[in-house]
Amino acid sequence: MSNTISEHDTDVLADDTTSAAIDIDREKGNFHYKEDYAYDAGIGLSPEVIDYVTKVKGEPEWVREFRHKALKIFESKPLPTHWATRDLETINFDEIRYYLAKGQKPSRTWEEVPDDVKETFERLGIPEQERRFLAGVEAQFDSESAYSRMKEELTKQGVIFVNPTEGLKEHADVFRKYFGKVIPAGDNKFAALNSAVFSGGSFIYVPKGVKVAQPLQAYFRINAENFGQFERTLIIADEGAEVTYMEGCTAPKFETATLHSAVVELVALKGAKIQYITVQNWSNNVFNLVTKRGVAEEGAEIRWIDCNIGSRLTMKYPGVVLKGQHSRGEVISIALASDGQHQDTGAKMIHAASNTTSNIVSKSISVGQGRATYRGQVTIPKAFSHCKNNTECDALLINTNSRTDTYPAITVRGANNSTQHEASVSKVSAEQIFYMQQRGLSEGEAMSLAVNGFINDLVKEFPMEYSVELKRLIELEMEGSVG
Amino acid sequence: MPTAILSQETIDSQITDTAVPALAKLKQAGWEQFQQTPMPKRTMERWRFANLQHVTLEGYSIPAAPSADLQKIILDKSNLLSEISARLVFADGYLIGTDSLPSELAAKGVILAPLSEAAQKHPKLLEKYLLKSGTELGGDKFLALHQAYLSSGYVLYVPKGVEIEKPVVIYNWAVSAGAAIFPHTLIVAEDNARVSVVDFYLSFDETSPALATSAADIHAGAGAGVFRKSVQNWNEASQSYQIDTTHAEQDSTITSVSVNLGAKRARFESAIQINGTAANVRLYGLTVADRDQEFDQRTLQVHNAPGATSDLLYKNALLDQARTIFSGMIRVAPDAQKTDAYQTNRNLLLSPEAEANSLPGLEIEANDVKCSHGATTGQLDTSELFYMLARGIPKETAYELLVFGFFEEIIEKVDNEELAETLRNFVQDKFRRRETKLSVS
Amino acid sequence: MSNTLDIRNLNVSVAERQILKNFSLTVPKGEVHALMGPNGTGKSTLAKALSGHEDYAVISGEALLDGENIIGAEPDAIARAGLFMAFQYPSEIPGVTIANFIRAALVARQPKGAPFDAKAYYARLYEKMDALKMDRKFTSRSVNEGFSGGEKKRCEILQMMMLEPKYAIMDETDSGLDIDALRIVADGVNKMRGPDIGILVITHYQRLLDYIVPDKVHVMYDGKIVRSGDKDLALELEKKGYDWVKEEVAIA
Repeated sequence: MSNTISEHDTDVLADDTTSAAIDIDREKGNFHYKEDYAYDAGIGLSPEVIDYVTKVKGEPEWVREFRHKALKIFESKPLPTHWATRDLETINFDEIRYYLAKGQKPSRTWEEVPDDVKETFERLGIPEQERRFLAGVEAQFDSESAYSRMKEELTKQGVIFVNPTEGLKEHADVFRKYFGKVIPAGDNKFAALNSAVFSGGSFIYVPKGVKVAQPLQAYFRINAENFGQFERTLIIADEGAEVTYMEGCTAPKFETATLHSAVVELVALKGAKIQYITVQNWSNNVFNLVTKRGVAEEGAEIRWIDCNIGSRLTMKYPGVVLKGQHSRGEVISIALASDGQHQDTGAKMIHAASNTTSNIVSKSISVGQGRATYRGQVTIPKAFSHCKNNTECDALLINTNSRTDTYPAITVRGANNSTQHEASVSKVSAEQIFYMQQRGLSEGEAMSLAVNGFINDLVKEFPMEYSVELKRLIELEMEGSVG
Repeated sequence: MPTAILSQETIDSQITDTAVPALAKLKQAGWEQFQQTPMPKRTMERWRFANLQHVTLEGYSIPAAPSADLQKIILDKSNLLSEISARLVFADGYLIGTDSLPSELAAKGVILAPLSEAAQKHPKLLEKYLLKSGTELGGDKFLALHQAYLSSGYVLYVPKGVEIEKPVVIYNWAVSAGAAIFPHTLIVAEDNARVSVVDFYLSFDETSPALATSAADIHAGAGAGVFRKSVQNWNEASQSYQIDTTHAEQDSTITSVSVNLGAKRARFESAIQINGTAANVRLYGLTVADRDQEFDQRTLQVHNAPGATSDLLYKNALLDQARTIFSGMIRVAPDAQKTDAYQTNRNLLLSPEAEANSLPGLEIEANDVKCSHGATTGQLDTSELFYMLARGIPKETAYELLVFGFFEEIIEKVDNEELAETLRNFVQDKFRRRETKLSVS
Repeated sequence: MSNTLDIRNLNVSVAERQILKNFSLTVPKGEVHALMGPNGTGKSTLAKALSGHEDYAVISGEALLDGENIIGAEPDAIARAGLFMAFQYPSEIPGVTIANFIRAALVARQPKGAPFDAKAYYARLYEKMDALKMDRKFTSRSVNEGFSGGEKKRCEILQMMMLEPKYAIMDETDSGLDIDALRIVADGVNKMRGPDIGILVITHYQRLLDYIVPDKVHVMYDGKIVRSGDKDLALELEKKGYDWVKEEVAIA
């Protein structure tokens, strides 16, 4: 096992100090260690790769079949470039490594985690966060989780928080009942890819009436080059249960593209509440193609709070299927697209019962040559009654070469339903900047203040520990944008 | 003589019969384009949500001219507006009546002529403006067919600085069963010219199915003002495809009001290319959809030049099992700074089975812009309804007043009381024809 | 009882919360009564419930308009029976002009099929508008659309004058009005005062009562009337504030 630090990050290491704060600095994740992997499926995708993964993970036959079927779907589906960016065509699926792991079992204490992996997560501040405000942590390093632990009292209450490999083996009944049901393998090309090669992620079950007060967190780390990370998360909140899940992610900057393609399925049973918070901070070489959807049963509530700051291309449209009466769905989304980035994000709300309500608020900021795209789908497909959707999307363009697009699609059937969609595009006004300059702020400071003001009401939705850092991050991004 | 529009022999004889070689060439090119272009599929982004079940070009032919008696009746019916500058009446694609422009306008160089005549007398005009734009809104197959069978239609040319006060009114009638007609509108307003045009698209009876593939080319020169009103009220056995392209030059003012009431299936594409600074474009649409009608509207506002304004408001009211699709796009090019562009779609659902689809889009590549869009779908406002009830107005009356109030915002934009009254009557006829009364839910 | 609006033991709930609790009040024709009280005591609920709004569920009680119970009737029937409500927040109705709106309301009061005298209608409409210092152009504007606060309230008074109700409830008509608008509205109400109409003025502030001098003043708290008196009660209230009422109720 080598532990040499690659050339990429000597400068980062130089000013690395143990930070007590949660750091989602864009540069923070830009380091990596050369690793020896005990398990490596090699380069490219084939039925053999799938057999290898299944064997290494010791999975039952039904999972193997599920994976093979998904691979066929992946191969049969074209890239969705009739509506999506052609940048997808630059992904070379034959040059990607689909499974890399140092070991199979996640450690339950940080002491047991291999030193270099532990050091990675320490630099990212994960153990610190765990001590301060988390109920449980799952830390994934390439294909497998290196660390997994939850507070004991939750275990006693029957809460399950493990990775899917463990989930499908040890909690097979509940796992199998919901796995792949919210997002079937055939949902889209990348969901199919994930279904074929998924590894890592979280499986969470919160029993009836249990309200998990502190968030559970997963941290996804890509360390290897030419690697694809395909974690799979399934969260089930049983009747009346409540849970908040947070995910963060980073990867070093490599010359070549890295692929991250996750599938996240949420099931909120009667009266349950799930809140899913993402702060996506991949490096600018990562293709982040993620499918996220939840099903809300009667009176249940699902909220996606989604912040996309990193990646080269993100395509992600968290959705809620409002299956039960009086269920509620919400997507709150912040996207920051800087030079070389395309944040193609949005939301889907499928109203499948009467008296359901959904809300979408999306704010994007395009800086430099960055491009932010909003895609939305709101469907009230049958003659239900008293379904409501409200959508707001606002885009802020900072520079003359920034770009923003908005592509909503709204279908409403029936006279007793209503939807409202509003979108606006604006820039930070010169008068506003001048006003702040007159009060003594630099142009960069003024700009970051204005941008923070633009997203302020959404940042409040993030836990305190994140919102402070989000603001700081915006400041960093803005300072170089003026001129 | 073969007449089925999809047969090679028909198009061949049509082209052979075209006296002007340039026009024959254009038609030939149109036919080739038509053959190369696939029929729309639902997977095509530009046909998203469209129900293609009733989209067919089979079974339509080039009709013969209506009998003299019929022509007389049609001419008599073509009198919806009295205060006009000129009138052309087409029936099944044949020009059957003309009220020429007043001589003083003709003396100033204003031209109003059917296409065939214009092709002979003003070839340069057609060469410059006729069917130059194509469509990127999805209807290219239909536009190509229109080009191949181009025959009826007119050219209105207004020279520099000439202002035409009263509207030029065109009636396009569909008469015989199975008729394929291809009305064309070409309006050129040179710099600082001013003109107002009303295109009526009407059926002679309620039951004869027709295929109408209409297109318009509208050009507003610098400082010109073009006010175009299009009233589509084909019978509900017909299919309608209308593809309009408008070019706005510097400081020009375009106002367009499109009223869509008729046809079983009506597709309406409207693209505005703003190529000059400070142009001012207003686009209004009103659709009343009932029974199993489907209205498929696709709009594009392209800002290629800085400092221009475009504002779109499309209102749809839906009854029964009707469907509407509004797909609008505002595109602002990188150089089009200081653009103000707005787009609003309001759908009023008046039945539990009606379905409204809304796709309001923005593609913005300039940062100093004010752009917004809004789309709402819903029912009548209950507080407005209560307010009316609280004044003693019975429910049915209140309901009707509110529904017509919803239309009024667009109807009043025609800025011509006679036309507004005509539109109100058309809408009222539509409501009166219905067997079931509006119900208050 | 004829010639009164007689509200008896009215219990009303909104979204399953009871707001009016055994509320009783009688307003005879020829009188102006003021109903005052702190925010949230149910003043507007009374107005809405009497108008027949479906969100206001009457649990029990009755309201006799010249002897006929209006509770449970449709809002338009109540209005035609002679009850007018001047809204605190009048709705904007796009596309429906004031002239057409009032006309439809008047036609609804005529026997079915009776001819409508448009000429006399406009003459009367203009006369009332002149009295309210409203520009005649308003007739072709959509009801309340884009109106200022004062214009909306004036439009309410115009409708009241045109519809000649037997009883009128003015629901916080003074809210959001500057002093000039307040005076015009009050003038309008005072012009209408007379033996054929009973008026209930709902207000939070005493200031409106400087212009519309009431015959009786009622103070409402927690869903019912807790004190009644003459116009001096309003002045006393102004001086002592609503806490005084709350304390009195607490002691009792």
